[in-house]
Amino acid sequence: MFNLIYYELFKTYAKWRTYIGFIAVGLIIPLIMWGMHLQAGHNFVQYQLRSLQSDFLITGNLFNGWSISQIIMNSLWVHVPFLISLVAGDQLAGEATAGTFRLILIRPVSRTRVLVSKYSATLLYTASLLMTIAVLSLGLGLMIFGSGDLLAVDRDMLTVLPEVHLWSRFLLAYSLAIWSMWVIASLAFLFSSFVENAIGPIISTMTVVIGLLIISNLPVESFEPVKPYLFTTYQDVWQQAFKEPVNWSRIAESCGVLGAYSAVFFSMTWYIFKRKDILS
Amino acid sequence: MSAEVVLRTIALGKQYKSKRWAVQDVNLEIHRGDIFGFLGPNGAGKSTTIRMILSLIAPTAGSVELFGHQLSTEREAALAKVAGIVEKPDFYLYLSAFRNMQITGAMTLGKTPLRTMIMDSLQLVGLAGRAFDRVKTFSHGMKQRLGIAQALLCKPEVIVLDEPTSGLDPQGMKEVRELIARLSREHKMTVFLSSHLLNEVEQVATRMAIISKGKLVAQGSVEELLRSKISSVKILSEPVKRSTAILKKMKSVSNVVLNGDGISATIEKSDIPKVVKTLTAAECKIYSIVPQQSLEEYFLSVTEE
Repeated sequence: MFNLIYYELFKTYAKWRTYIGFIAVGLIIPLIMWGMHLQAGHNFVQYQLRSLQSDFLITGNLFNGWSISQIIMNSLWVHVPFLISLVAGDQLAGEATAGTFRLILIRPVSRTRVLVSKYSATLLYTASLLMTIAVLSLGLGLMIFGSGDLLAVDRDMLTVLPEVHLWSRFLLAYSLAIWSMWVIASLAFLFSSFVENAIGPIISTMTVVIGLLIISNLPVESFEPVKPYLFTTYQDVWQQAFKEPVNWSRIAESCGVLGAYSAVFFSMTWYIFKRKDILS
Repeated sequence: MSAEVVLRTIALGKQYKSKRWAVQDVNLEIHRGDIFGFLGPNGAGKSTTIRMILSLIAPTAGSVELFGHQLSTEREAALAKVAGIVEKPDFYLYLSAFRNMQITGAMTLGKTPLRTMIMDSLQLVGLAGRAFDRVKTFSHGMKQRLGIAQALLCKPEVIVLDEPTSGLDPQGMKEVRELIARLSREHKMTVFLSSHLLNEVEQVATRMAIISKGKLVAQGSVEELLRSKISSVKILSEPVKRSTAILKKMKSVSNVVLNGDGISATIEKSDIPKVVKTLTAAECKIYSIVPQQSLEEYFLSVTEE
């Protein structure tokens, strides 16, 4: 099995499209940092604290590497899902397009094992992309903007998280982000099993993610009953890492729902893939 | 003692969503050491049958048995000694020939194949010098040869080749034909060869089957089948002129032409004794009646019925 996963990873990382995500984050993160550095982040901090400035006198370095890394995590709403679907959506559809299913599915290896190896490679790619974002944003952020406490603003609540706890907070946040993004990867992987080109799964995944995000976040009463059942309602689980105190029961609930969604998406993919006739 | 059956299909059938049966009730038996030609017009169901044999398509009816293992329930054991190329060989174009061989080899062996194994297979098809070039730089003929190399990598006992000479130039076709004959002769491999090139099958196959409109219409040794339905014969009979005149008068004989030292004619197999009796009664000396039927004629006669 490890051998199969190794070669799936090898194939994944030998493709040009895999590096689009890494190149994108490699360009965008330094660009954001450069932009913030030019303004020393003042406008952004003023915007964040607009509702609190009349009641509080805030001093010290509020804009530091931690805060910029937290800002960059907001790319997890749409940008990162897009980059993930580029690769996850190609995992099965790409083999169908290239005709290479005819090469690998006639081997004495069960389709389940082939699927598990491809899914593992997809999840590992997702994790590696998020780890790259973490390393790049924290590394560059701390290097350029320095360290300090993190001012976490949650609607009208201001929380100051001490610097000493921030490594563990970010470790938790990125772990939760990986867990959350695995649902997106699983969804794109599912769509990839339906079709024979990778464009369809990418567009379908983004349509579903954006559509459900709108429903999850719009304060419309008629959407309220369905919100608890949408994975996008729990997609921001990483933000729980910056709450004080950390709401572990909310994290557990969100992770449970997200995990269930990943499991359902993978099970559906398995059901389809096992019965799929390879006609290409 | 009859030869061991290494591949058997039992009442194999495939019905697509359109409810059309692409393949129906196909019973094939391929013996160890056969070069088995699988013929059929375009759209007859050759590729669907091959895809079912190699587990790319699930049969709607019937089953496939490889080395005594049911493909549906013992897939890994059934395919362990089988390799194949289905239609045109496709590869990971962004990887080298060597890497492609590593991937397919690992999937068959369960571990990364040794470098020497890969290089030996590439050497066999004349691609050792291009082992580390990306496959996207290969010509169609080179990909075809690489397809055969990857199929041979794990020393299969049965190799399934679907149109292996498709798109090759005459030299390439000859090389592939020779390779197929060599695999059977030197490596004792059983070759299942699907082709629409009758000439190709006639040259290399020992046994064959013909499929038409999804149904098997003939199966047996090439020689047997060609003799089973004689229509064109060459008759050596003297005196030639009198023999020709008699044959031309017979209703059951047509297309009588004086051809060199013999007479070419079209006769149904069942009418041959009558022809012999008539010529003998007219005091003609019959030296031989040799079937002249080509595979093409036979193929057309069974697929047009």
